[in-house]
Amino acid sequence: MAKKNSLLSFLASVKLAVALLIVVAAVSILGTLIPQQDASGPFLARMNPGIASVLLILQLDDVFHSAWFAILMALLALNLIVCSLDRFPRAWRRFRQQGDPERRDVFENLPADLILAVDASPAAAAHRIETLLKKRVGSIKRRETGGQTCLFAQKGAFSHLGVFIVHAGVLIMMAGVMAGPFLGFEGHMNIPEGESSAVVALKGKRGFKNLDFAVRCDRFIMDFYDDGTPKTYRSDLTFLEQGREVQTATVLVNHPVSFGGIRFYQASYGTMPTGDPSLEVIRGDRKVMEVKIAAGKTFPLPESKALVQVLRVEDNFMDMGPAVKLNIDAPGGVVQFWVFAAIDRIAAANPGLLEQVPLFNPASFAPYVFSLTKPEIRPYTGLQAVRDPGVPVVALGAAFLMAGLYLVFFRSHRQIWIRLEARAGKTMIRIAGKSSRNQPAMDRELHNLIKAMGFDRKEAS
Amino acid sequence: MIDAKILSVTTFIYLAAFVLYLLRMVSSRDRWGTWGSAMALTGLSAQTAALIMRWITSYRLGIGHAPLSNLYESLIFFSWSITAVYLFFERRTRNGSLGIFVVPIAFLCMAYASLSPNIDSRIQPLIPALQSNWLVSHVVTCFLGYAAFTVAFAAGGMLLLRGFLERGDIPGGPSVAKTGEKRNDKLSSWQDISLRRRFTSLIPSPAALDELIYQSVVLGFVLLAVGIMTGSIWAHYAWGSYWSWDPKETWSLITWLVYAVMLHARYIRDWRERPMAVMAVIGFISVLITYLGVNYLPGLHAYQ
Repeated sequence: MAKKNSLLSFLASVKLAVALLIVVAAVSILGTLIPQQDASGPFLARMNPGIASVLLILQLDDVFHSAWFAILMALLALNLIVCSLDRFPRAWRRFRQQGDPERRDVFENLPADLILAVDASPAAAAHRIETLLKKRVGSIKRRETGGQTCLFAQKGAFSHLGVFIVHAGVLIMMAGVMAGPFLGFEGHMNIPEGESSAVVALKGKRGFKNLDFAVRCDRFIMDFYDDGTPKTYRSDLTFLEQGREVQTATVLVNHPVSFGGIRFYQASYGTMPTGDPSLEVIRGDRKVMEVKIAAGKTFPLPESKALVQVLRVEDNFMDMGPAVKLNIDAPGGVVQFWVFAAIDRIAAANPGLLEQVPLFNPASFAPYVFSLTKPEIRPYTGLQAVRDPGVPVVALGAAFLMAGLYLVFFRSHRQIWIRLEARAGKTMIRIAGKSSRNQPAMDRELHNLIKAMGFDRKEAS
Repeated sequence: MIDAKILSVTTFIYLAAFVLYLLRMVSSRDRWGTWGSAMALTGLSAQTAALIMRWITSYRLGIGHAPLSNLYESLIFFSWSITAVYLFFERRTRNGSLGIFVVPIAFLCMAYASLSPNIDSRIQPLIPALQSNWLVSHVVTCFLGYAAFTVAFAAGGMLLLRGFLERGDIPGGPSVAKTGEKRNDKLSSWQDISLRRRFTSLIPSPAALDELIYQSVVLGFVLLAVGIMTGSIWAHYAWGSYWSWDPKETWSLITWLVYAVMLHARYIRDWRERPMAVMAVIGFISVLITYLGVNYLPGLHAYQ
């Protein structure tokens, strides 16, 4: 049992808490000095391989998501819980404790300026002080003992609990931070104008997530200030359920839109080719076929015995734009050549090219001419899609933290004892006060109280 | 632009205030301190006016926003916050001795903002990421927090200086022992002692400085907590994540933890005076890294 107790007292110690806070701070510094996550690649590549592998083994390339950082956080949480539980009963007693109006020890060594002798009768003086305290402090207790009137007032006893509210807030926030990645997700969708998508590419290449609704980008708009600084990135979106338009919304930077429990943020933009390229086959001045193509696809050529196979599909072949390589297997032999989407422009820029390089001539299999219609280049909007059920939990924790900090730093438990007794035709008033936090402020308050009582000041004998 | 002219004048007003606070120290006449405070208040008023004018001007340019959007404006506002928070504490404690440490920091911020060739003083339009209602509350709370920590740092520095003076260890002073030499007390001439006394006579007691460190750290700690939270809320709306361990976020947390350690040590271990002063200095270094240093770190976003 003794061993367990010593372990408990170790876990309950503020020394451990301070040590853990220092370690967390030190580790965080490391996390800002070493490039993290995606940025770590080029950094590690420049390092000595031995050091790099040590960094990788210690997960120093992603400190804040490493196993040992999680352990550190768990230890901190445990320490926070044990430490708070250990100290809570005492604070609770102080909070619940009813002040004793007849306490005598507080009047020991009372400075002379907190002792008054006034002409008013004890009853009248007590009444005046009581009214004043009621107004200034609130709850008040009065007791008569042996010719003395004892008054006691207090406020802010709740401030003893402030520190526990702060710690509870930190723990709630930790819980929310942990819950987020487990219960939610974070990803990206690039949607070209006019298209819709229901697939989110998850962060960190963790695969894809299918949404049970689709997002359509109706329009992506950029606006600039006169000096060329970007002013607005804006996407007009429509949310679709089973192909039915449910809601339209505008997403701007700083103004995300929520749908189906998922938030969509304006994150990036760009242009991308949309749709598959298609191949047109022309014989004379007649279009004999148009076919969507993909690498490996084979189709018979109309009005002939030839078979066309698509060997390669390139978005940008030899810097001359989209192109496909065809293999035509005809009874007369096999022909291979490239078909460029921008063949007219290429031929105009390189006179004689088609004659010299049959490999680039789309009319290499006479009498047919092939032409590639390139996929359309369209602007897209890059949306960040996030679901994080931890957010309200973190917000709750933050509210606790702030309320607790307020109680700890700006509220204090203030107790005031006042004793009145008749002596030599005068009323002697002694005033004592205690504050849980800021005794000098309490002393100032006592002097203000004396001023507010408005008695003619007379030196106590 | 008139606001830029006022701001450059403010720089010199702060320099003058610093000189007056310095005179107060050297002459040990509090009157100079009163002039110093008046000068600092003049600077603060001029700076406030300039900030408001800059704000109005931005609306006239059609790109209206609070003057808190780039390094130039943040330095100006940091300097404003330092002077404002300092004068608040000066009024509360009725002691102007800290001015000698605080006002030069406000002056340096202004000088850096106006003189550094890398800092653009033009009013720039807000990029989409900065177009948020959280900009003002986030920046204001953070910088008031930084300013409170600056006051704590100055009080800490003063406390440590007082310690040096009382032990006769003024660096560079006549009584400093040469390495390897035994200190010869006869070397401390009466002038030296009187100079030291003159210096220390206007420095508040260690207990008063300790109280000031504590109060300003508490204020900064709470303001930084609010600043981090408003920043998190903003990040939640702007970046889709309330916390992403970005170097600036991380360093703000480190700074907060440094002061959390300091406050716990005070409550539980009853740390007073010297250790508090040392922590105030460490905390301020952390503040500077959070504010300016992270720009030089290989951050998630800054790294090439």
